[in-house]
Amino acid sequence: MAAALALSACSSSSTGTASTSAATGAASAAATSAPLDASLTGTITAGGSSAQANAETAWITAYNAQVKGVTVNYDKSQGSGGGVTNWLAGSYDFAGSDSPLKPDQVTAAAAQCGAGGALNLPVYLDGVAIIYKLDGVTKLNLSTETIAKIFSLAITTWNDPAIVADNPGVTLPATPITTVARSDGSGTTQTFTNFLSQAAPSTWTFPASNAWPVTGNVSSQKGGSGVVQAVGAGSGTIGYADHSAIGDATAATINKVEFSQDAATAAFAAAATTVPTGTGDLSQKIDYSKLTGADVYPIPLVSYQIVCTTFKDAKQAELAKSFIGFVASSVGQKVAAKNAGSAPIPDATLTEVLASLATVK
Amino acid sequence: MSDKISVQSAPPSSAGGSGSTSTKTPGGSPQNAAASRGGTRVRPGDFIFRFLSTGSAVLIMIILAGVALFLIISAIPAITADWGSNDQLNTGPTAAFPNFWAYVGPLIWGTLWSAAIALLFGAPIGIGIALFISHYAPRRLASVLGYLVDLLAAVPSIVFGLWGIIVIRPFLIPLSDWLGANLGWIPIFGGPVTTTGSTILAGALVLAVMILPIITSISREIFLQTPRLHEEAALALGATRWEMIRMSVFPYAKSGIVSATLLGLGRALGETMAIALIISPAILVSVKLITEGQNSQTIAANIALNFPIATTLQRDALIGTGLMLFVISLVVNSIARIIVNGKPLGRKKKSTPAGPRTPGPLSRVPAGDFASATALDVVSGSSRAGKPGDEGPTPEEDIEGARY
Repeated sequence: MAAALALSACSSSSTGTASTSAATGAASAAATSAPLDASLTGTITAGGSSAQANAETAWITAYNAQVKGVTVNYDKSQGSGGGVTNWLAGSYDFAGSDSPLKPDQVTAAAAQCGAGGALNLPVYLDGVAIIYKLDGVTKLNLSTETIAKIFSLAITTWNDPAIVADNPGVTLPATPITTVARSDGSGTTQTFTNFLSQAAPSTWTFPASNAWPVTGNVSSQKGGSGVVQAVGAGSGTIGYADHSAIGDATAATINKVEFSQDAATAAFAAAATTVPTGTGDLSQKIDYSKLTGADVYPIPLVSYQIVCTTFKDAKQAELAKSFIGFVASSVGQKVAAKNAGSAPIPDATLTEVLASLATVK
Repeated sequence: MSDKISVQSAPPSSAGGSGSTSTKTPGGSPQNAAASRGGTRVRPGDFIFRFLSTGSAVLIMIILAGVALFLIISAIPAITADWGSNDQLNTGPTAAFPNFWAYVGPLIWGTLWSAAIALLFGAPIGIGIALFISHYAPRRLASVLGYLVDLLAAVPSIVFGLWGIIVIRPFLIPLSDWLGANLGWIPIFGGPVTTTGSTILAGALVLAVMILPIITSISREIFLQTPRLHEEAALALGATRWEMIRMSVFPYAKSGIVSATLLGLGRALGETMAIALIISPAILVSVKLITEGQNSQTIAANIALNFPIATTLQRDALIGTGLMLFVISLVVNSIARIIVNGKPLGRKKKSTPAGPRTPGPLSRVPAGDFASATALDVVSGSSRAGKPGDEGPTPEEDIEGARY
């Protein structure tokens, strides 16, 4: 059954160019993840990151096709922070979070999970897209430095020499630039400001933060959809959002790299290193300075599922291991890629996730 | 009609009597005691009903006290923390603030400012609608309009928010451009003019629509209570319709209008989702109406936007801002109560001889309970001398019609 699904997911994958790696991915998944135990019954309660929400829906549907007795409830209304809080309080079996646990949360997790603490398992990969609306300009390329200047409000018109230099041959109007950011705290903002503060430290003097740090002529909107809406409704607007959520909006290329699932996966493979907070933990640190090649997307966005190493209830541990094991299989990654537009996590990392997951009890 | 009224007024009478004499169980209702002494079947029901109503009254006070206590206890760690050096507070949304008061101050301003603008637009229109329904509209139209305005209250605020984003924001952009170009020298129209339209002006206009139902329905009830004799006296003295309204309706309804407005203000202060969706917020004190980045954030919207990512202490800080909103709402509602208690109670005393049994319980009815006030007026209205004249104000039937 699992193999059949793997094959069908593989054959229906839209990323035809990556067929070789996809095929090997399916093979390694079959090797690393045990077939799902269809006899499990119970309820998994989880919640957190809204970026993961579409992927969670796809995962749950695909998972339930095989394991009918397990109900998975994922509450995206809490956001990453609320998800972690509820998980720390013992309400959730796992939390979805756009950032790994912070030091104080690691301490709190030790109290909740016992001596082994918690595991941050990277299971979701997307990219932060730079979207814009500028009448008459359908293709736009921005260098990292120019993005930092635009979003720090150092550049205020579209025909600024810096933007012109990034777009030879394109006629840019003298329209004022309006930057659009998130008004609510967000993992997307955290990722984007991380990127800016590392990739353009001399231009971007603001801290990396989950709340947009620039004040001034900034349009702040609630949620990624709010940003996409405001960019689309305005004129001369530019904003950032999860790539899987931008819809029809026009995305700029960053350093001439266009977002694709392959480019995001390649970026993760090239720049992510594991910075564990404990044994088996897989918190990732992205080194954005490595993301300068033509085939890697410069702003990958990683999201995690966070579990205890030792569950209070062994039955729940079994259920969570089964579900997350599916999520972290290359079948699960393809399901999310197809239905939620996310990029698959590289196989090497998935193998590590499954190995860490195996230690959960 | 009078049968119905006596039925209506009976339960409050016994409830009010029991409320005031809850300790004296046997002699709770002296008049009825003798009559009902023989029938012991009535007494368990009496006891249960008194217990339930007293219990409900006590419960709501316990809940209110519990909420206040929760807010205070949760807020204390954030209020007392050193925001500059605390790792949880010097990051993210609370990073730029030296202490709690620097954080909550601009939020309080934004809350009051947006609500004030909303009132500026909402109150005159709401009162105008109420006046139209009560004194100008034909009966059929009045009832439909009243129903529609009440329906407006049932629209969820997130729908208002989406309406604000998709309709009102683009609609106001040309106006903002014009104001910025021609009146930009006035501080409230200054600053870089918006391009996405997510201004406090757009938010406040949507808020104004949201507070219309409460202002309209309360004002309408008050206007309908204007003594017919006053109105007809004014008309008989040669007043036009407008002069009659100015001389007899407005003076009579003044306190009611004020309290309707203040209750609308209370609604505006606490509105969350529409504001969170529409306005591009910043935590600063600003009076600018049409800018992108200088719209003062409100307390409720700020909580909604930042709660999901808050650290433990940031959450406490947000709860602290909620405590401030709680206090502000309490003050506003208290003022509304005091004002509405002023005049109508005096009027009720005058009507005491007309209805011997009603004044006691009704004077104890919370001042905001306009349904009871209306019920009282229907009682006294039955003794009104006015006949529906040719050009006279709305007949009694229209009042009923306007209500539903």
